[in-house]
Amino acid sequence: MAYLNIKGIKENTFDVIVVGSGIAGGWAAKEFTEKGLRTLVLERGRDVKHIRDYPTTNMYPYEFEHRGEPALSIRRENPIVSRCYAFREDAMHFFVKDGEHPYVQVKPFDWIRGYQVGGKSLLWARQTQRWSDFDFDGPVRDGFAIDWPIRYKDIAPWYSYVERFAGISGNRDGLAELPDGEFLPAYPLNAVEDHFKKSLLGKYGNRHVISARGAHISKAGKVHYDQGRAQCQNRRLCQRGCPFGGYFSSNASTLPWAERTGKLTLRPFSVVESVIYDDKLNKATGVRVVDTNTKTVTEYFARVVFVNAAAINTNLILLNSVSSRFPNGLGNDSGLLGKYVAFHNYSARISAEFDGLKQFTTDGRNPVGGGYIPRFRNLHKQETNFLRGYAAGFSAYRSSETDTSGIGEALKSALVTRRLGPWKVGSHMMGETIPKESNFVALDREKKDQWGMPLLKISVDYDDNDVKMKRDYIEQLSEMFVTAGFKNIHVNAASQSPGLDIHEMGGVRMGNDPKTSLLNKWNQLHHCRNVFVTDGACMTSTSTQNPSLTYMALTARAADYAVEAMRSGNI
Amino acid sequence: MINRRTAIRQVMILAGGMALVPSLVKASGGPSIALRNLVLSGEEESLMASVAEIIIPKTQTPGARDLNLHLFVMKMVDDCYDEGSQQRFLRGLKVFSGIDAASLKELVVSVNFGKAVADEDAKYFYRVMKQQTINGYMNSKYVMTNLIVWELVPARYNGYFPVKS
Repeated sequence: MAYLNIKGIKENTFDVIVVGSGIAGGWAAKEFTEKGLRTLVLERGRDVKHIRDYPTTNMYPYEFEHRGEPALSIRRENPIVSRCYAFREDAMHFFVKDGEHPYVQVKPFDWIRGYQVGGKSLLWARQTQRWSDFDFDGPVRDGFAIDWPIRYKDIAPWYSYVERFAGISGNRDGLAELPDGEFLPAYPLNAVEDHFKKSLLGKYGNRHVISARGAHISKAGKVHYDQGRAQCQNRRLCQRGCPFGGYFSSNASTLPWAERTGKLTLRPFSVVESVIYDDKLNKATGVRVVDTNTKTVTEYFARVVFVNAAAINTNLILLNSVSSRFPNGLGNDSGLLGKYVAFHNYSARISAEFDGLKQFTTDGRNPVGGGYIPRFRNLHKQETNFLRGYAAGFSAYRSSETDTSGIGEALKSALVTRRLGPWKVGSHMMGETIPKESNFVALDREKKDQWGMPLLKISVDYDDNDVKMKRDYIEQLSEMFVTAGFKNIHVNAASQSPGLDIHEMGGVRMGNDPKTSLLNKWNQLHHCRNVFVTDGACMTSTSTQNPSLTYMALTARAADYAVEAMRSGNI
Repeated sequence: MINRRTAIRQVMILAGGMALVPSLVKASGGPSIALRNLVLSGEEESLMASVAEIIIPKTQTPGARDLNLHLFVMKMVDDCYDEGSQQRFLRGLKVFSGIDAASLKELVVSVNFGKAVADEDAKYFYRVMKQQTINGYMNSKYVMTNLIVWELVPARYNGYFPVKS
């Protein structure tokens, strides 16, 4: 299908190809173009230009046909994506509908995707915490997966590097398990979040409630203005795209930055079918692209390829990149490509009420949501009947009560004279799951999608460790709520399928040993050194932290290494 | 003259049997907005407008009719409810038809306070009607810009905002 000619090769040749324009791809684009390299960014979805393509960003609630609620016909056609909290009238155009890219669920898995320039960076929850060595040491200490090839000291300067550019709000909390970063001012805890923090310190000592750290410009500086971004205006309408660039997205930040260098070529509507491997040169020479509008196949060439298509699609591309050297997928001598997929266990929530502190309420909106409780279980040593632990979100708000029992004039005046009710509090768990060979993605050998790509089979499930950890979260948080004097405690342990956490990771994991891993410590394929993976697919374990900040740091670090390797002729 | 309460009770008793009131629905125009699923006559639309106005009447400020809240209710029931709920809503609606304005008001008020002996469909119709009328009202441009102002750009957050007593 592919056509080749000399002119085509020259026109289609770049220094670097980046597959994907989400959080990781955007960073790769910025780093390479800034360093003067001609960079092609391939995005399977449509273009979304900052501000111009945020159609709902300044809409009022009454401007939405159903005041935000997706119509029943849409929910019926899209049962998977409808389970995502952000799939509402204001942002549904940024989500992939169920029928647009089918996959095979060997076990139930809610694969939530954003196919457009910027990917899910438009939609993410913007929580950004660094990993610590409690996380990087985890697999070795607790005997699961394989050892990470890096430690905190390897990535720490790159965390700083990306934080300064992206804009991360937070306090310097001085916790070893959650290292401090280059922070803009934190969004402070509110009265009841503070009360919870103090109650826990009094009883436990090692359980901390800190201001959630988030990718919001709480105080704009030159580095943000230079990107065309301004201070966050506390709208909390982030999923629509922010006209102020108040939160970090590829669209507001890295991609326009890359564009201004003149070195960026952005090609939307480009499904990457495979990475092209040259058996004689023993390296990748480029990628094969299916144009989603015309279905024509075009080849693009470069010295280096960064595959950042989002964790599961990165697995798909590498699995589909077969050659005589790599019959089972690019770089897959170990046979582990697609395996050891893991995620975050978000399957429990707890809520309650608090009768105190009624002299306070909140005013305005907190864009990062409230508080964050770093992992406290099994931190320094194994102390429970399950491995690892969980972080937790925690937030409080003052409820308001409206009497709707009446009718007519009485109802009408009751509706606009709200009384403040008690504070309401809520928490959700974010549990580390253990990567296992039995949790995997693989190609379906029969079914193909509309672009001729094999469908992915996804077989990922919870295990006994997750069940025990969830039980512990419920017990511990309930006890912590009681300690703080919270009442009417309600546990919501309704199961949700893996995937809905939107933190799927692994399949192309990093490691020191090519026999047990796909990528080395620089995110290079062990067996194909000019191909790099720095999105969620590269993760050896999952920790409890939200992963995006780590993808940014790994990407900037790997790009820096790749540029040096290109200059010294190593790749 | 029949006592109004008796008339209402009779309507409620007849309510289960739709066959008894077909002529009221027939021979009228269609609804004023395009509907995908609900089959609704112009008369039924105007009945919904009347019920919405009883729930949120015009006072010194606009009422349900001024804000076209019945059209919002129609839109929501048409697009966001399943077929069973829509049919139930329509069956319940018919219970309220064919009576004069004063009787309608009395009936609606009685159902609101759980006093009328309404059948389950009638109660369901009213519950949806009230819930979505309130939803439409609270999320109307009028309320959101005049009575309880919704801010597009708050530009602030205070977690210790003092409550005025």
